[in-house]
Amino acid sequence: MSARWWVPLLGAALLGAVPWIGDETIMQFGIYLLLVAVLAQAWNILGGFTGYPSFGNSTFYGLGVYGTAIAMAQFHMPFWTGLALGGGLAMLCALLIGLPILRLRGPYFAIATLGLNAALSALVANLDVAGRNIGLILPLTRNDVLFYEGLLALLLAATLAVAWISSSRFGMGLIAVREDEDAAAVMGVDTTRYKIAALVLSALFSALAGGIYAYYVTFIDPASAFDPKLNVQMVIMAVFGGPGTVLGPVVGAFLLYSVYQALASSISTAAALFYGVVIILAVIFMPKGLVDLGWGLRRMGPRYLLETVRQYRL
Amino acid sequence: MSVAPAAPLLEAGGLTRRFQGLVAVNDVSFSLRPGEILGLIGPNGAGKTTLVSLVSGTLLPDAGTLVFDGRRIERLAPFRRAHLGIGRTFQVMKPFPGLSVLENVTVGALFGRGGGERNRAHARERARAMLDFTGLAPRLAQRADALGGPDRKRLELAKALAMQPKLLLLDEVMAGLNAVEVDEVVALIKKIREGGVAILVIEHVIKAIRSLSDRVLVLHHGQKIAEGDPASVFGDPRVVEAYLGKRRA
Repeated sequence: MSARWWVPLLGAALLGAVPWIGDETIMQFGIYLLLVAVLAQAWNILGGFTGYPSFGNSTFYGLGVYGTAIAMAQFHMPFWTGLALGGGLAMLCALLIGLPILRLRGPYFAIATLGLNAALSALVANLDVAGRNIGLILPLTRNDVLFYEGLLALLLAATLAVAWISSSRFGMGLIAVREDEDAAAVMGVDTTRYKIAALVLSALFSALAGGIYAYYVTFIDPASAFDPKLNVQMVIMAVFGGPGTVLGPVVGAFLLYSVYQALASSISTAAALFYGVVIILAVIFMPKGLVDLGWGLRRMGPRYLLETVRQYRL
Repeated sequence: MSVAPAAPLLEAGGLTRRFQGLVAVNDVSFSLRPGEILGLIGPNGAGKTTLVSLVSGTLLPDAGTLVFDGRRIERLAPFRRAHLGIGRTFQVMKPFPGLSVLENVTVGALFGRGGGERNRAHARERARAMLDFTGLAPRLAQRADALGGPDRKRLELAKALAMQPKLLLLDEVMAGLNAVEVDEVVALIKKIREGGVAILVIEHVIKAIRSLSDRVLVLHHGQKIAEGDPASVFGDPRVVEAYLGKRRA
């Protein structure tokens, strides 16, 4: 119990100290690292617990980006108001689209969410208030410590939310939906409400991350705000680390993004291949993620790899 | 027939469900009192599972009414019916494959009748009791998809029981069990009924149906062709022809 909490707490404290130790390059790396970690953790709430493979979380991220940007660039509102608006916008969108889209299952759901991302990107590109194709420029603030610590706080909040979910009745209902939705319904789980609640929560964290990041980069356009590649990243990171676990997605994000960056700075062609290789290896040898792999290797050694391959008939 | 004629817990009136051209359940009416066991039999494709799905809410009827505990429920969502006290098992078993046996049953205790137990520790306690009751306690830490056939049947039963239902719908919980295991499950079902639970049992094991049922309802091509106490139903020539005759030939 204590070791389980000491390690993440110590890790968080160390991460919190980075702005006072690291240089500008490290800060840049750290801000993007925390961003993808928050996004992977937010994806985990829906994808990891309910098993709905969302490829539309970048939509909510984009709404957070644009909500904040529009509020600040067009209406000269303060950052926090913009952030709140972006988060609210994403939650509202999740609520409205949740009902029709969460009726779809498996690959159909994935495709619909992918379409959602494209649709919102096109919509924003045609709105005057959103700066159309050209995008928006936010007021410049050189305050990387604020962005870094803000994203770190958000990551902590998202992880605490996931920790609560995984030990609550609500979380058990989400897991039941993932394991067998029909069985969950006849056992008394209000599946529709649970799925929408998970989607809204996932949308909120994604959007807040987007809002902070928008203020950090100061220039945004539809292509960068609604980038499906970002969504692929969060899925890989969460699934690699361990979907449906508390720390798996964070560990996955830290590890994969670090390796990716190391590769990108030395051999850039290999970096492009990196995520693809990770997907293939992860699906074959550790479909339940890094956390389960560590647990399985400790319990039964290399036999774990064979067992998973056999169990999932690969 | 020592059971006092209590008010029915479940009353189905003229239930009908079509799948395109096929009328899977055709104008079926029946009732069930607390503590009563109704056996539901019929040849394959007679509409037994469809009827159970209409009661549990997995399917909605095209026509007909369902009154449960004095409330109309035929349009209610499955989870609401579960909250009112209807629990079911699935013929094609639906365990939560990646969860442990204990977690599987805990879901029933956390949701189920009245919305279930709010506290996860309490729910786990109730789940443990159900595992003791169904004889699954030694398997509690195993993953559900690692269970053998008979234990999966027990798990289906334990999950439904953890919901503390007033009405239990059992869809072939004895299929594939050997004679000893059938006797064990029959004894379990009798014990459940002693607690006042009304039970609808679909079963192909005639011996079990005979020894369990207070009444038997026979479906054939979606229609009710006979209903009554086991002795008279199994003596009915129409039933013998539609059901037993073919299967015993």
